[in-house]
Amino acid sequence: MTDELDFYAVDPATSARERRDIRALLGRCGLDYEEHIQVFVVCRDAGRLVACAGLESNIVKCCAIDPDLRGGSLSLTLLSEVVHLAYERGHSHLFLYTRPENVSFFQGCGFYALAEVPGYVTLMENTPVGIRAYCDRLRAQRPRGLRPDARIGGVVINANPFTLGHQYLVKLAAAQCDWLHLFVVSEDVSFVSYRDRFALVEQGVRGIERLTLHHGSQYMVSRATFPDYFFKEKGVVGDCCTAIDLLLFRNHIAPALGITHRFVGTEPFCETTRKYNADMKFWLQGAGSTAPAVTVIEEARTRSGGTPISASEVRRLLRSRDLDRIRALVPAPTFELLREKYLSKILPFAPDPLGHGGEPDAPARRAVAAGI
Amino acid sequence: MKIVKEALAGTLESSDLLVKVSPGSGTGLEVVISSEVMQQFGLQIDRVVRDTLARLGVTAGLVVVEDKGALDCAIQARVQTAVMRGAEAQTIDWSALS
Repeated sequence: MTDELDFYAVDPATSARERRDIRALLGRCGLDYEEHIQVFVVCRDAGRLVACAGLESNIVKCCAIDPDLRGGSLSLTLLSEVVHLAYERGHSHLFLYTRPENVSFFQGCGFYALAEVPGYVTLMENTPVGIRAYCDRLRAQRPRGLRPDARIGGVVINANPFTLGHQYLVKLAAAQCDWLHLFVVSEDVSFVSYRDRFALVEQGVRGIERLTLHHGSQYMVSRATFPDYFFKEKGVVGDCCTAIDLLLFRNHIAPALGITHRFVGTEPFCETTRKYNADMKFWLQGAGSTAPAVTVIEEARTRSGGTPISASEVRRLLRSRDLDRIRALVPAPTFELLREKYLSKILPFAPDPLGHGGEPDAPARRAVAAGI
Repeated sequence: MKIVKEALAGTLESSDLLVKVSPGSGTGLEVVISSEVMQQFGLQIDRVVRDTLARLGVTAGLVVVEDKGALDCAIQARVQTAVMRGAEAQTIDWSALS
């Protein structure tokens, strides 16, 4: 190694040469090139690309160092550079995925483990107080005066848009619990904006007693908790991406609020959903965690004219301008908002059923697949 | 000085430290130190960080330090820089730390 190490940031979309060199380095390190990375920090040693770390918004990805240059201080410089770059781009709360055996290395770089699928992957964040402060805020919202053996429910919905099906699930869950905590996915990558989704849920659950409505967070069905890539073993991807999200819920969020039950709607047609619900039972109820188990309760979806109500069906009808049929599937405020604001926004022949403008939409897509 | 935004100073390299400041969620001052030499120097690092913050008039916010064995003068300088960035300070009181 010479002393002429040169660090700089590159936009992979604008340089074929940088892209090719990054791809080659990742290949040597057993990692795949990620298409959605907006910027890379790279390091060249006398012209040769020897290290790289990418950022997709606030997620550090594709972090690699040439095997010949490991064991020195290059890694710490690389991580310093990428953290500074992220701050400059307005991201101070960072996440990264790594194999469990590399956790101690990233701990030396200011990252802290959040959840681990043993043998496969660990999610880390760059603050020692992130999840703790979040859970403290949740704990402060615990209702007072509940019995120690109270049945406390949790529901997570994306509500894109809020339908009578969501309303039915929430009412049914609330009726079975001493208290219900309802979360709205806050990642703003869905067709209906977060602000509108939250407002519609707020109106739609008004009057339901013993219920707390929460804003979602980075720790729940977000780009960070639902990664769409890990390693070359593609088969692992599908299993791990739900596991991290579910383990965060079981190990941190549920204990903070005392949640004992998680409610989810079934989707009788979709294989992905069955898989997600099975994963939910495995990770929330099974032996994969030492935190108390959270019982999963699947509720059959409510129907309208024989067909289960789903938000994706509503978006499909909106695309075909079928307002009459939408009216039967959603509460009145949702209907008004769709007609006033979103009817003109949806593309009639959008290839992506979420009608999303090209941006990667993995969390929302999985949230929909998961029946939330 | 009042921390109004997230800011960063320093590096993770040996004998340096990375300081992150943010307005924090509570009302008080929270200092979290992580160091390679926590066992021997953890208390001293904490004292230097808190002294520096006090001299800069910082009474609220979250300050996270990832230390790689930095000397006290480096700790002071990095904390000062992070605070000035986080406070969006336009005029710098150079004598505050002298």
